[in-house]
Amino acid sequence: MARLQLPVLRPLRRVLARLGGAVFVLWAVASVTFFAVRLIPGDPAQAVLGGPGSQASAEALASVNAEYGFDQPVIVQYFAQLGRLATGDLGRSYSLNLNVGPLVLSQLGGTLLLAVLALALAWLLALALATWSTQSGRIASRVGSALEIVAAALPHFWLATSLIVVFSIWLGVLPPISTGGALGLVLPVLTLAIPLAGFLGQIMRESLLRALESPFVLSARARGESERGVRWIHALRHASLPAISLSGWAFGSLISGAVVVETIFARPGLGRTLLNAVTLRDVPVVIGVVMIVAVAYILMTLLTDAVSRLVDPRLRLS
Amino acid sequence: MPLRHPWRTRRLLATTTGIVALGLLMAGCTPADSNEPVGEPKTGGTLTYASGDAEPTCLDPHVGGNFPQALVSAQYLESLVSRDSDGQIIPWLAESWLPSDDGLTWDFTLRSDVTFTDGTVFDAVAVQANIAHLQDPATLSSTGYLALGKVTGTEAVSPTVVRFTLSEPDSALLESLSQTWLAMESPTALERSQDENCASPVGTGPFLVDSWVKQNAITLLRNDDYTSPPADAAHTGPAYLDKVIWRFIPDSASRYAALQSGEVDVIDNAQPDTIVQAKQSDSIEQLDSPRPGASNRIELNSGQAPFNDVRVREAFIRSANVDDAVSSLFQGTATRSYSALSSAESTAVSNPALFDYDPAAAVTLLDAAGWGETDADGYRVKDGVRLSVEFPVSTNQSIPAEQSVFEQIQATAKETGFEVKLAPMDLSSWYAALASNDYDAVSAPYTKVGPDVLRILYHSASIVPAPSGYFANLAQVNDPAIDELLTTAARTTDATERASLYADAQNRILEGFYILPLYDQQNHYLLRSDVVGLRTLPTVAVPTLYDTWLNR
Repeated sequence: MARLQLPVLRPLRRVLARLGGAVFVLWAVASVTFFAVRLIPGDPAQAVLGGPGSQASAEALASVNAEYGFDQPVIVQYFAQLGRLATGDLGRSYSLNLNVGPLVLSQLGGTLLLAVLALALAWLLALALATWSTQSGRIASRVGSALEIVAAALPHFWLATSLIVVFSIWLGVLPPISTGGALGLVLPVLTLAIPLAGFLGQIMRESLLRALESPFVLSARARGESERGVRWIHALRHASLPAISLSGWAFGSLISGAVVVETIFARPGLGRTLLNAVTLRDVPVVIGVVMIVAVAYILMTLLTDAVSRLVDPRLRLS
Repeated sequence: MPLRHPWRTRRLLATTTGIVALGLLMAGCTPADSNEPVGEPKTGGTLTYASGDAEPTCLDPHVGGNFPQALVSAQYLESLVSRDSDGQIIPWLAESWLPSDDGLTWDFTLRSDVTFTDGTVFDAVAVQANIAHLQDPATLSSTGYLALGKVTGTEAVSPTVVRFTLSEPDSALLESLSQTWLAMESPTALERSQDENCASPVGTGPFLVDSWVKQNAITLLRNDDYTSPPADAAHTGPAYLDKVIWRFIPDSASRYAALQSGEVDVIDNAQPDTIVQAKQSDSIEQLDSPRPGASNRIELNSGQAPFNDVRVREAFIRSANVDDAVSSLFQGTATRSYSALSSAESTAVSNPALFDYDPAAAVTLLDAAGWGETDADGYRVKDGVRLSVEFPVSTNQSIPAEQSVFEQIQATAKETGFEVKLAPMDLSSWYAALASNDYDAVSAPYTKVGPDVLRILYHSASIVPAPSGYFANLAQVNDPAIDELLTTAARTTDATERASLYADAQNRILEGFYILPLYDQQNHYLLRSDVVGLRTLPTVAVPTLYDTWLNR
């Protein structure tokens, strides 16, 4: 009996475990964020009252404290916040007079677009660099490796400003700030993609080299496969696996990079929302943004898992 | 109001020295505009303004009341009175005013031909509604609420005459009312919910709020029925511009790049490096307009050791080489101040002799004050305690150049034996540090029209914290003679007598070595050369686009 149910149970159990893990991650993220923002100095009531340094009257302060529950002990506020989150209510921003759910969703699109485009471009650049540098001789290999190391080490703020100087001020071909059109996306996407491409490229090149030396490549060559077939069908598939599983992490890092990039390029998005909210101690917005990012991260990890299974048949067997 | 430009320049983003140098090399490459003589104003066009200040959370400056709100709302809201460049109060929505002999009632005669952009008539009842709105705790007003502290009531004597009743004479009443934070809004619009009024406040100004896409832009359209420019405006009738796009670009380098590439026409919060670059450019011009109220100054906390001893305060001031720091780090864009007040205030008293850099005198003063011993690190010691100065620095309010000035002061004061501990922190943490008295020195800008800012900053009553924990007298000056002078000045409406009282108070503050003045509160705008007729209101030094037109 038990043996018969197993094939049904196994995926079910896996889904349940995943779901439980996701809920745990969301709870942990919400809790750490709540205490992190509340324990640093600064009074959230002042976010409601027009910002830090408010000289609002005693009546105004008292009514805000009562309305938002700031007069309660922090632990009570924590459980109240958690209770609201459990029902899917992200609460109301202290500073923006807006509900956090719609606010965060309205900013999600811009950041997601930036992150997805940057990830795609980073993959393209990394693939191009890895394949070129592994098949074009020793000098190409050295150059490729140097490019990857330099690119991976570039800080976003430096890269962003350099790109603006070159493409907006010097060449005058791209707008230095977001203008709503597609052209305005080019520099922000490049800023995010270049360091990531360096990082992914390093990993891809190493695993590509390792794959090219593996027995299965030797046997493919022995079977008479063309060099192109060997590289593109066998070796690259093998070599892309570590990069695929890293893409989940990369996606998270892109969202944190968005804080800098959105500020420099004056783009609306989650990163800028988060920065403003932290500065004002706007706890609901900080938690809202971090939760959304956590959900995106979880989904991305699931996706990279699925893609890995697709690319690597061994994972499907185990 | 205590000034905050929270998102002006983040240090992280501003550490781009190499790139700026590169930009300097390339500034010569921008196409130069022809220097044709400016002809008749042209009507039409869209001007894009890029602010480095924070995006307001509410476009109604009655709510809270900070500088970012004043910047944008000066385009669609107007005040009862204004101030001209000589510091004289001039008519705006009020044609004239008359205080009673005892100074306890003021009658304002209003213009009778003004309507708000929603069609509501501007009259005495509208003024009453605005004062009531500012004084209502539910409005959560901070700046406007404080400015109306002595106003106990209003009365509509006739549709065009409104009477203010005061609890005691207020020589700062007109200056207070000139500020954008106390501007007049449509009473019909004020009856809407606060959320609605924050999103689209309604005034009498040359533009009206068309839309506000948060984190993106505010769109303002010309008010075609506009009739009420202030007495010092350059023209009458509607504004020249069709439309204004008001954007927020927090990063200084990208704000300037956007101006260079022509994406935007005007930027504010221009930093010394970009101002110097702009001087090389034919297509960009500068508008320098120091903010009114207090100068930028370092306040020494006289409420606790070591600065509760006037000799130690003087020693610190004598040991700080401010002149060299300002001239090298601001690259000639800021002028050294020796006053508690901004140079925009005609009542400012300046006394350079008190602030000479004199390390030898500083050493003598410290010896006399009992700080004669020196420890292994070269710092002065008294009873086993090192001569340390806790100096929290708000990275939101102090621009990078100013933070570097503090580092220079730290270095020169060290030679005399002061250990200056600079602690950069974000705005909320900084206010928290001040509220818990964890500071010996601090620089806190304060913008207000008129010398009454001295009462807010140096009257002992301002040591008592507001309900939020904030207090304005950060030097913790507690001198009955100063209190007396400031209180009397605030009740004295005779201009000469008032100025003399404020002069006496300033001299006592400067001679008590409570503050180290640095420079005016910097307020530089950069604009494309084809933007003509841009000026700032001499009240709170925010730009007005009413007379502005595009020569293209």
